Amino acid sequence: MKRSVKLVGAAALIAASALIVSACSAPAQNESESAAVESLVIDKSFDLVTADPARMYETTGGIVLHAVYDSLLTFADGNADKPLPSVASEWSVNDDATEYTFTIRDGITFSDGTPLTSADVVFSLNRVKNIQGNGSFLMAGLTVEAPDESTVVVTSEEPNTAVPAIMTSPTLGIVNSAVVKKNGGTDAADAADADTAEEFLNQTSAGSGPYTIESFDTTTETVLVANPEYWGDAPVYDRVVLRNATAEAQLMDVQSGTAHVALDLGSDQIAGLGSDVVVSTSQSPTIFFVFLNANPAVSEITSSPDFREAVKYGLDFDGILELAGEGAERAYGIVPSSYLGALGPDGAVERDVDRATEAASRIGGDLTVDLEYASDFSSNGLSMGPFAERIAAQLAEVGITVNLKPGPIATTLESYRAGSEQMGLWLWNPDYPDSADYLAFGPGEVVGLRAGWEAGAAPELEAVMAEVSTETDAAAREALYKQFQKLHNEEGVIIPLFQPAASVVAASAVGEVKYDPVFSLDIAAIGR
Amino acid sequence: MALFIAKRLGAAVLLVIGTILVAFLLTAVLPGDAATARLGERAAADPEIVAAMREQLGLDKPLYEQFFIYVSGVTRGDLGDSVQTARPVMTDLQLFGPASAELALAATLIAVIIGGGLGIVAALRANGHLDNVLRALSLGGVSIPIFWFALIATAIFSTRLGWFPSSGRLNAGVVPPPRVTGFYTIDSLIAGNFPLFLQAVQHLILPAIVLSAAMVGLLMRFTRASVLDVLGQEYIRAAEAKGLSGRRVVFGHVLRGALVPVITVVGTAFASLLAGTVLVEQIFAWPGIGSYAYRAASTLDLSAIVGVTIFVALIYIFVNLVTDILYGVIDPRIRRA
Repeated sequence: MKRSVKLVGAAALIAASALIVSACSAPAQNESESAAVESLVIDKSFDLVTADPARMYETTGGIVLHAVYDSLLTFADGNADKPLPSVASEWSVNDDATEYTFTIRDGITFSDGTPLTSADVVFSLNRVKNIQGNGSFLMAGLTVEAPDESTVVVTSEEPNTAVPAIMTSPTLGIVNSAVVKKNGGTDAADAADADTAEEFLNQTSAGSGPYTIESFDTTTETVLVANPEYWGDAPVYDRVVLRNATAEAQLMDVQSGTAHVALDLGSDQIAGLGSDVVVSTSQSPTIFFVFLNANPAVSEITSSPDFREAVKYGLDFDGILELAGEGAERAYGIVPSSYLGALGPDGAVERDVDRATEAASRIGGDLTVDLEYASDFSSNGLSMGPFAERIAAQLAEVGITVNLKPGPIATTLESYRAGSEQMGLWLWNPDYPDSADYLAFGPGEVVGLRAGWEAGAAPELEAVMAEVSTETDAAAREALYKQFQKLHNEEGVIIPLFQPAASVVAASAVGEVKYDPVFSLDIAAIGR
Repeated sequence: MALFIAKRLGAAVLLVIGTILVAFLLTAVLPGDAATARLGERAAADPEIVAAMREQLGLDKPLYEQFFIYVSGVTRGDLGDSVQTARPVMTDLQLFGPASAELALAATLIAVIIGGGLGIVAALRANGHLDNVLRALSLGGVSIPIFWFALIATAIFSTRLGWFPSSGRLNAGVVPPPRVTGFYTIDSLIAGNFPLFLQAVQHLILPAIVLSAAMVGLLMRFTRASVLDVLGQEYIRAAEAKGLSGRRVVFGHVLRGALVPVITVVGTAFASLLAGTVLVEQIFAWPGIGSYAYRAASTLDLSAIVGVTIFVALIYIFVNLVTDILYGVIDPRIRRA
């Protein structure tokens, strides 16, 4: 029997040793790092759905498709102030901002060598409009025509100064219309049903950008290779692997050297990194906000102006900000700090516990409200839970009891969009880098309605909104956006909290990689 | 034996039908709107776009019609399209299933070798110091939180020592071997690409070890108990009294008798591993069924949710069927009963 014990034990030991030997005999990850820099590995937590620009409207998709497809205009170097020429070498606008004329640059070819013309632009933009996808709203109220091969005219029903910013969106990336049509694509009015080009575009890109798609997978990795036909400056890295990884896995990967760039690390994770990485931190235009439902049918408490006053002066914004980590900034208004008309600290609401308590006491009764938020969602390394807890703790000090109601985003999103949340903690990423996007926070608009804020609820504010949406003078727009936000803050239905920092961690061999406030990451600019 | 298998298969078909019905009905009562869950803020505010999405997902039809369409599809092998991958769910299962199966099989193999082996040792050294140590270790194995173990293992063996990669099935950007089984280890060997095989093994080891921890503990305890039970049987004493060598007694008589309950545990544990790899797959970025199911649930990808449910049910049914058949092979008394 003793020999049996020894035999069994020996067998187990041999098996374990074989495993270890096989592992150690394979090339270690770090030994191949210098060779792998030629193939840049970027870790990102995917929300990738499609490689069809007309159907794409996600962060990861934007990163990929910004590298593969060119838009009429673009931004560069992390600067979102003024759109720059891209496919369009220049553009002009009429006096009332209802007609934009774009001149198509000479010499641009798609990755198959086909010249890019105005017909491709018209096809691409109409396809986005008619496919009725997530990004179709970008073309709302716009029509596009091509009077000749080198000119595209975009006409807006109403004055719209945001058109140049809108035209930078990767969703409006220009596709090779002949190739897409050949593979089931259409820009006709029935494109929502008739267009079948997505499957093709998920395998083969048809753009003119610095990269083409070598392989595309929404769950594991997407590989881009440099486009030899690219009309602009060639990218530094010939091959880029964008890999799906959670923030925890990204931390391990960048520490072990298996990833060169990590996009989703939070400030706590970054603090523990060594000196062999380069961290670039900048301001994200994302706005975290809390709203108080203005609909008495949802809550008589939150719809009370006294309650709004109690919350506005009961919140300790610095105390909330400290949870957001280094680099985060308080949001003084709903328009992000880098955008036209953003508010500064002058006149900002500061905590006044006495005032808040008195406002709460005027309401009387049991001040218990529910605060809903997504428990499984995070942005810029921040999840909602700690902020919700901090808000509840702060408001408890002024006599308001906040019941926390976390839930999976799939279910909380429904109640948020239905406008049935008493209080909600959410965030907003800009649809396009223009202050006009934030008129959505007004009464009767997209976010306003989520907060039960119907049109007509704030006439003075809505008058400013109407005026600024048709104003074309930059200085006047700036003044009007400031006025919009001041009035918006006074109403207190939607309370902006902070803008998080956005950090990109890169291996020292790659050098600094900057966060892009419009595209999240400009792959082609890495290494330049 | 044929009748035995036929009866089991018949029951399996009924189980699958019941699973489809229950899964479909459950998705119908899930909170949240699967159509608007796919849409951004602006798109969700546009009734035309919402209607187009509902039509695309088939949600504009009555529930009974949706069920009929779905079942008709299932009979043709069509489980609908996943909105998260824009592919047929069947294609996704064929892609992700082998990834999870490879991981679960590797974990099971580790668990059988280590857990089974140490369980036998513990039984043969019952109540001694070694047995006490092994029993404590087995308790640790079943108690250890898997996510903690995964993070610690990655921090030590991947980040610090660099012995194993921290994520994925292969190095980033490496083209997988031509697909035959979907198991990168086997397919790379079939393709004659030994360096790729080693790379696949290197990526597989750490998550498999983490995943096997609980199963090692469980198997160790079950094997120990089962072997002890058999060791107490008179026919074992008779074999020893006849002068048979210790090795022959253990491998020729003890193990055969102890295997039946152990196989049950291995089968059930394997099925659980295959269906419950979410945490490990998330931490190691392993593109398997667990990750797919988690994303499906998070995004209300209804076709994928039902597809995964059916897949997992089929796994349990298949594993139980194989286990039952193995019983009959190992112990003829069972199939005669």
